[in-house]
Amino acid sequence: MTEHQQQHIFESWLHQHQALLFKVIRAYAFTDMDRDDLFQEITVQVWNSIPAFRQEAAVTTWMYRIALNTAIKWVKKEQKHSQAETLDAVHHVLKENAAVVDERLAWLYEEIHKMDKIDRSITLLLLDDFSYKEMAGILGISESNVGVKINRIKKQLISKSTKLNHHGI
Amino acid sequence: MEFEDMKKIWDAQTSQPLYVIDEQALHNRILSKKRKGAHITNISELLGIIAYGVMGCFLLGVTLYKQNGSPFMYVLAVWVLTSALYILKIRILRIRGNDHFDRSMQGDLDHAISVAKYQVHLSLVMRWNMLPIALLTVLGVSGAGKSVWFSIAILIFFALAAYASGWEHGIYKKRRMELEMLQKNLANG
Repeated sequence: MTEHQQQHIFESWLHQHQALLFKVIRAYAFTDMDRDDLFQEITVQVWNSIPAFRQEAAVTTWMYRIALNTAIKWVKKEQKHSQAETLDAVHHVLKENAAVVDERLAWLYEEIHKMDKIDRSITLLLLDDFSYKEMAGILGISESNVGVKINRIKKQLISKSTKLNHHGI
Repeated sequence: MEFEDMKKIWDAQTSQPLYVIDEQALHNRILSKKRKGAHITNISELLGIIAYGVMGCFLLGVTLYKQNGSPFMYVLAVWVLTSALYILKIRILRIRGNDHFDRSMQGDLDHAISVAKYQVHLSLVMRWNMLPIALLTVLGVSGAGKSVWFSIAILIFFALAAYASGWEHGIYKKRRMELEMLQKNLANG
């Protein structure tokens, strides 16, 4: 594969699946600086992964796999080397899209943030309609395990949303 | 709220991405990376020129003063001085090339990548340059009648230096990769 072909694929993937990457970034990175950092890390991994892509999986599945694995590794690394934000990083490359400000979505992300790394990944994949089999393949766990976790996650989210409704959101 | 309702809220962000790329912030980041890269490159070049220059002159002086020094020490002195001149030459070429980049975001990014590539090249050349220097040093000290252990100690020293230099080279390669990725993201944005 030539670099030109790789560049072409990269541009088209990023253009079509940008929203997918942003979902993972928002679910795993909490500060603006972290989001910039994780965005860069994921795009590097997506770029590197292109020659290995064999069309056996859908591009969305492939990108989710790359993005989630990168995010999980990144979280581990960040926990080891957590740093305070520095002044020179006050302006961030990724800016929240004002058109997508939805309190319920913010609440949903807040709940996703509270989950552990695997549950977070499962929730993202579940909300994006991935099958149990695909989730198991992406995360390297059994389908039955995915099923158990999904039942628990759904129950938790529904129960928390009921409490939220009582508070008027 | 039922899970299906959450899904509807979730799906809304697929058509409307959560984030937009702030071009000004991106430009600032590129400028900051460019300045940092240029500063590190400048220091590396100056250190290389001074270290090789001083070492070459010292070796040449000592070998000439002794008069019965090993011929390898003359070769080593000339090699080290040539290395200093080589760094000086590529530094001049690099500085001359600075004017070829315009002051737009793309120009600044191209410039930053060019400096990063140069730094990768420089660190690679300096790493390989240790090989002839180590060889000539060992041959030189052996010719001067030093013990085998002294030669082994020198080889160990150079091996450690080469290892550290490989680690440094990896950092520069990573920095170049980050910039190239920014360029690709920019092309896409």
